[in-house]
Amino acid sequence: MNFHSLRKILLCVGISLTSACVTSTVNEMVFNEPIEGIGDSSVVILGRRHASDYETEPDFVACVSDHIAAGDKSITLIDELEFLNALYPWFEPRTAPLRPVDIERMLDRKVVAEKLKALKLEYIIWLDGSTVRSGGSGSMACSLGGCFGFGTWSHDADYEATIWDFTDQVTVGHVNAATSGQSYMPAVIIPIPIIAPVQGTACDGIGEQLLEFLSSGY
Amino acid sequence: MRSMISAERRRTLSPVTLTVVLVVLTTLAGCGPVKVVVDGNFPPPLITPLPVTLGLWYGDDFSKHEFFDEAKGRKESSWIVTTGAAQVEMWDSLLAGMFTKVVHLKNKPGPDQNLTAVDAVLIPHVEELQYTIPAHTSIKVYEIWMRYSFELVTPKGEPIAQWTMTSYGKTPTAFLQSDQEAVNLAAVMALRDAGANFADHFTDVPGIREWLQAKGVVSERATR
Repeated sequence: MNFHSLRKILLCVGISLTSACVTSTVNEMVFNEPIEGIGDSSVVILGRRHASDYETEPDFVACVSDHIAAGDKSITLIDELEFLNALYPWFEPRTAPLRPVDIERMLDRKVVAEKLKALKLEYIIWLDGSTVRSGGSGSMACSLGGCFGFGTWSHDADYEATIWDFTDQVTVGHVNAATSGQSYMPAVIIPIPIIAPVQGTACDGIGEQLLEFLSSGY
Repeated sequence: MRSMISAERRRTLSPVTLTVVLVVLTTLAGCGPVKVVVDGNFPPPLITPLPVTLGLWYGDDFSKHEFFDEAKGRKESSWIVTTGAAQVEMWDSLLAGMFTKVVHLKNKPGPDQNLTAVDAVLIPHVEELQYTIPAHTSIKVYEIWMRYSFELVTPKGEPIAQWTMTSYGKTPTAFLQSDQEAVNLAAVMALRDAGANFADHFTDVPGIREWLQAKGVVSERATR
């Protein structure tokens, strides 16, 4: 066994030891899949921000976009902020369409219809949900000599992606991802965080299903 | 001679003294209110402009708007949220896109003014601003809520319409994001929301609808 292989094994062991477990459930219901892919049309992924007690995190939206872009480089994805600015003020939380039938009302505005045509928009994917810290326990004391103790906490993520066919103005799919995981932080002089990648797992779960829907290569 | 002594003293200032001075200054700085000067980018609206030349007058209460919230306990901080410059930036951008021409006025319209170049003058006011941070509530979002009042008057200052409007912005907590950054982002969202609310409902305001009809202006909303 050479040094290179040993280093890989040590890296894998290190990652396994410093990663906590995550439980994930992904449900999917899609129809009217574009069999040949979406061609030169574009897709935008937007976060829903209507709820008063939570907000779909912009970095989660970016994570799902990155997952799709990395999986199939032929899919044209419009950046969320770029899209919101180009269509300001019609996709702000107050004015954004809540149902596909609301698109028709929006297209009554000539300049909006022209802009959306220029963007060749085929699908709008709404992401709704958030990741919350659901509990924690343990204690840790730190002094000049270092930290001693143990802490643990859990996170729950629940997201739903709703796919709108922009041309036909109908919903063509829902993907739901619910994940939870427990993180740990033992400390013997140095605290070692063992973080459960709850949000990242939800992002991968939703991203993978959306990629299957949009890409002809999957 | 005095300057020579000062120079000598300055030279002999030890690192320990310097550290103590810095620690004291830092501690004192920590006692002051948390300041946020709202800063953001506001895109032009995607809207068909109304064929109206609008005069625009910002009073100091608007263009220098500042919100001060004094701490209610020793564990809380006082906050100063300055929105004036961002208000001007957002409303300038929005109104320039909503009307064919916007003229900034140097004086408030009144009977002594002869403003023949404009059809009407808009005077915005920020009546109220409220904010919450996760330390105040149990939810992990930062929120800003604003209440505006608007006056639309003739070039001679006679009222056409007067109405109020609210706006709301929130932003989630994020890793390595300070309270100031989050409050700024929530304020930018509230300003964008104000623009959206104004653009979507301007032609529905009683008084304005009749005024536009009298001028023969038909909005896209009216044609639907």
